[in-house]
Amino acid sequence: MRHVHPISIRHLTRRFPPARKGGPERIALDRVSLDIHAGEVHGLLGPNGAGKTTLCKILSTVLLPTSGTATIYGFDVVTQARSVRPLIGLVFGGERGLYSRLTARQNLRYWAALYRVPRRQVTDRVETLLARLGLAERAHERVETWSRGMKQRLHLARGLIGDPKVMILDEPTAGMDPVAAREFRGLVRELRGEGRTLLITTHDMAEAEAVCDRVTLIDGGRLLRTEDPRTIGRWVSAHERVDAADVPEPILSNLESLPGVARVERLSRGAVRIHTSVEGATATVLRTLLDAGVTRVATTEPSLEEVYLHVVGNRGMRV
Amino acid sequence: MRVLLAAARLQLATFRRSPDDLMVLLTVPLFTPIFLVIAKHAGRLDLAPYAVLAPGIIAMLSMALNTSGEIIERDRWGGTFELTLATPARLPVIVLGRVATVTLASLLGIAESWLVAYLMFGIAVPVLHPGAFVLTLTATAIATAGTAVVFAAVFVWTRSARTFQNSLSYPLLLLGGALVPVALLPEPLHPISRAVYLSWAADLLRASLAPGPVSALWPRLGIVVGLGAVGYVIGFALLRWVIHRARTTGKVGYA
Repeated sequence: MRHVHPISIRHLTRRFPPARKGGPERIALDRVSLDIHAGEVHGLLGPNGAGKTTLCKILSTVLLPTSGTATIYGFDVVTQARSVRPLIGLVFGGERGLYSRLTARQNLRYWAALYRVPRRQVTDRVETLLARLGLAERAHERVETWSRGMKQRLHLARGLIGDPKVMILDEPTAGMDPVAAREFRGLVRELRGEGRTLLITTHDMAEAEAVCDRVTLIDGGRLLRTEDPRTIGRWVSAHERVDAADVPEPILSNLESLPGVARVERLSRGAVRIHTSVEGATATVLRTLLDAGVTRVATTEPSLEEVYLHVVGNRGMRV
Repeated sequence: MRVLLAAARLQLATFRRSPDDLMVLLTVPLFTPIFLVIAKHAGRLDLAPYAVLAPGIIAMLSMALNTSGEIIERDRWGGTFELTLATPARLPVIVLGRVATVTLASLLGIAESWLVAYLMFGIAVPVLHPGAFVLTLTATAIATAGTAVVFAAVFVWTRSARTFQNSLSYPLLLLGGALVPVALLPEPLHPISRAVYLSWAADLLRASLAPGPVSALWPRLGIVVGLGAVGYVIGFALLRWVIHRARTTGKVGYA
């Protein structure tokens, strides 16, 4: 039997007409190709305007591509949109996307009907989701009275109401406080455990690193790389950092002259950060520091943010 | 059917939480005394049925324009429109369910008007042909819902829906013969007026309150329903266009 990916994208391009007459056409997606495996949590990482939301909208049948194809479990998002829609749960970040004057329960019951949840299952599914997302106690309150984080959790519940095999989460933690964001990561792991496939867009490196199996870097509508987050980390292992405190001044000169040391950054109160540019340079730096009697030392793994900077360049951080 | 009912429930819940959508029903009792006082002081209490019926028709049309007309627009601004498009449900069915609920709620205006006439002026306008009255009211509600689908689809892509809403209501009420029968309007307006379902509906409603027989009930009812059907056809075609536009351009409207 032919293996069918939950999400398969081939040469997908989306252009938008010029905002004003005579202006340039905007290319939101430029010949994007990507396969996402069953049960995978896939991160789409990029700055604002990179094309993440456009891709989400096309995959969820809300927007048509200019050219190329995208399929969900083999169903084409353009020609077989009706078959695609029951398979997908779509979640946008932010405050919009809910009937704010209604209660959470009313919202979920409505969306359950739109997703054709069998009548007998509606109450059970709504209450289960409310409990799962920690919203049960306030489910009778108008959504407009809720905090942004609670609304975001309701967005997730709404996205899950149709019991989708594929979830598309566009900036799902936008507006969440750190505690809620951590809970969200736990939920993502649970969803993966249930066999769902998730596509998560974010410009938060830590989030992508924490929850994703693979991460695709996107910028200017083009996919730059798709890798395991740890693999991406290894790309810039040459750019590992060593933080040290109470480093004698002469040692600093020695460090700067070591092979593979890119620069020594002076931090506040005598602390320094040594940036390496060659794999293995970290070990030399550590030996040098220890030989000099410096014991307050820490190495830090490169974050996805740094990976992004190295792969995309400085433009990527102007979000 | 299930989506239709869910949409109707959503609209009912919205009414409960947003009573401002029902504001028209608060203004109806203000129109009834105005029209009745004019009739009374002119010594034409025989026109009381006209005075009582008109506010109900005004309520129906106002809610079609203002509440039903904004259904998609509000969803668009609330961010629920795109999410709706991503569901297996069909947008026209959702819009129809919500519009039908608004139309049914607007019928309360007619009951209100009757009540105000009785309580404030002691005038009880008898419904002399109840069968014709109920049938006409049903046909009018069906046609109004169809017209409201057109409003909902048109207003979402106009730059200034509010201006349209405000400026459309008076011509429609005039051409629809809400207060003044079309026969009394200047002759050149008749052909235009007869293209408005409301003109046939208002005449039939008045006829069902008058002592004489209701002439040509079924053909006239057929015209009301037929013109309403034209509204549905245009409305659904426009909705398909709105969806197509949203999917192809990424935009729903011009605003």
